Amino acid sequence: MAKIIVVTSGKGGVGKTTTSASFASGLAIRGHKTVVIDFDVGLRNLDLVMGCERRVVYDLINVINSEVHLQQALIKDKHCENLFVLAASQTRDKEALNKEGVGRVFQELAEMDFEFIVCDSPAGIETGAMMAMHFADEALVVTNPEVSSVRDSDRILGMLSSKTLRAIEGREPVKEHLLITRYNPTRVQGGEMLSIEDIHEILRIKLIGVVPESEVVLQASNQGVPVIHMAGADASEAYKDIVARFLGEDKPMRFIDLVKPGFFKRLFGAR
Amino acid sequence: MALASSGNSPAVFDLKSASLTLVALVVKSTRLPDLAEQLKIRLGPSTEFFNHDPVLIDLSQVHDSPEPLDFPGLIDLMRSYSMVPVAVRGGSTAQIDAALAAGLCAVPPQESPSPARAASTAAAPVAPRASIMVVDRPLRSGQQVYAKGADLVILALVNHGAEVIADGSIHVYAPLRGKAIAGATGDVNARIFTTCMEPELISIAGIYQTTDPPLPSEVRGKSAQVRLDGDTLIIEPIRV
Repeated sequence: MAKIIVVTSGKGGVGKTTTSASFASGLAIRGHKTVVIDFDVGLRNLDLVMGCERRVVYDLINVINSEVHLQQALIKDKHCENLFVLAASQTRDKEALNKEGVGRVFQELAEMDFEFIVCDSPAGIETGAMMAMHFADEALVVTNPEVSSVRDSDRILGMLSSKTLRAIEGREPVKEHLLITRYNPTRVQGGEMLSIEDIHEILRIKLIGVVPESEVVLQASNQGVPVIHMAGADASEAYKDIVARFLGEDKPMRFIDLVKPGFFKRLFGAR
Repeated sequence: MALASSGNSPAVFDLKSASLTLVALVVKSTRLPDLAEQLKIRLGPSTEFFNHDPVLIDLSQVHDSPEPLDFPGLIDLMRSYSMVPVAVRGGSTAQIDAALAAGLCAVPPQESPSPARAASTAAAPVAPRASIMVVDRPLRSGQQVYAKGADLVILALVNHGAEVIADGSIHVYAPLRGKAIAGATGDVNARIFTTCMEPELISIAGIYQTTDPPLPSEVRGKSAQVRLDGDTLIIEPIRV
């Protein structure tokens, strides 16, 4: 049975799409047949981050409305063998999503032997976000070290535990993972950012990983390459660790402690 | 949580419950000239004192008067002082019939608090609350729990932006960071207990306090309780 993972946050701009792209790519690199679906109908971005925006012919809404077959809308990723992308529609809005349609798409994906279905949730707590989380088995809650982001993550965690299908049916709750992005130990030290401990104290869910603040993330995004493919970059390593932990491996946390400035210089090369 | 409005049936009206606070004119004579004279002495020539406010005519003092009251005359008199008579209360059957005929409505007589009843109310304990509501999952931003007619016990954290409400007391065996409203229906004996007092707002029987400025350090983030002393919320550490 396919495992459905929602990447969500409540707040916008915290790194949901970056995480969805790299996490799904990481699962595929590890040999798992994976599909990543953009639920941000009307403001689609995932295809840009995945670098497949010129190959989008049909999208999620076309499939939900039974206008095309699922196979026609799945876009094969250019970096990974086992990865497929299902883009959002740019011309529609979130109201085009419905539980029946989304459920049917997941059913068909499971029948096609996908192991993981990664859902890139839009920001907010409206229809799009609710549809993205409705069928989830697990959730990556993406949070920035900032009070408003933590508050919104808390709101989303409340919804995961009360509004999802698992909650409604009284099954085992959605498994929640905290994923902190844009973490900068120097700024935490200076008191500008919340520390991992601060965030954990408020949200109290298991930390799956910390992605450091990095210029490489923006570069990768603009090039249409998931940052996990940027060999040697901290963010890439961090996402690989996150995928490994998700798959049950025990990896120590990295990129959370203050390091000497020279280290970053060396890492990012000539700049 | 926003409720979806039904888009296809544009309502031109809604029926809602409403309440109104009225001024009562307690009539002590059924003789209209006397009333006119007294009103003139009390209110003077200014007819604008009552700015078309609705007024209740209290007849309890003339209930046993044998003389009938001229309601149309009284209504005209009151209107000349910009009062809008709307209802009568406490009259005899004949008086109420006459008032109804004059276009007023009748409301049930006011319950006079007899000394005996007041004493019994004070002596009787607040209705016993047998029930208790237990919550064992975290309450996060935007979530709300109301223990109707019960005490509320929470075994997980109550985060910023969450609300816990109980008609009785509230016990939180984890950080209390949201709003806690105890004695929601007016029980002044309700209390709030927590092992980590960091709320946004606390309230007992309608007396509330925000935590800006912050709570004193002897209770902030510590085991503490909140109780009501008169009109003052007392927040004190629990020392064991």
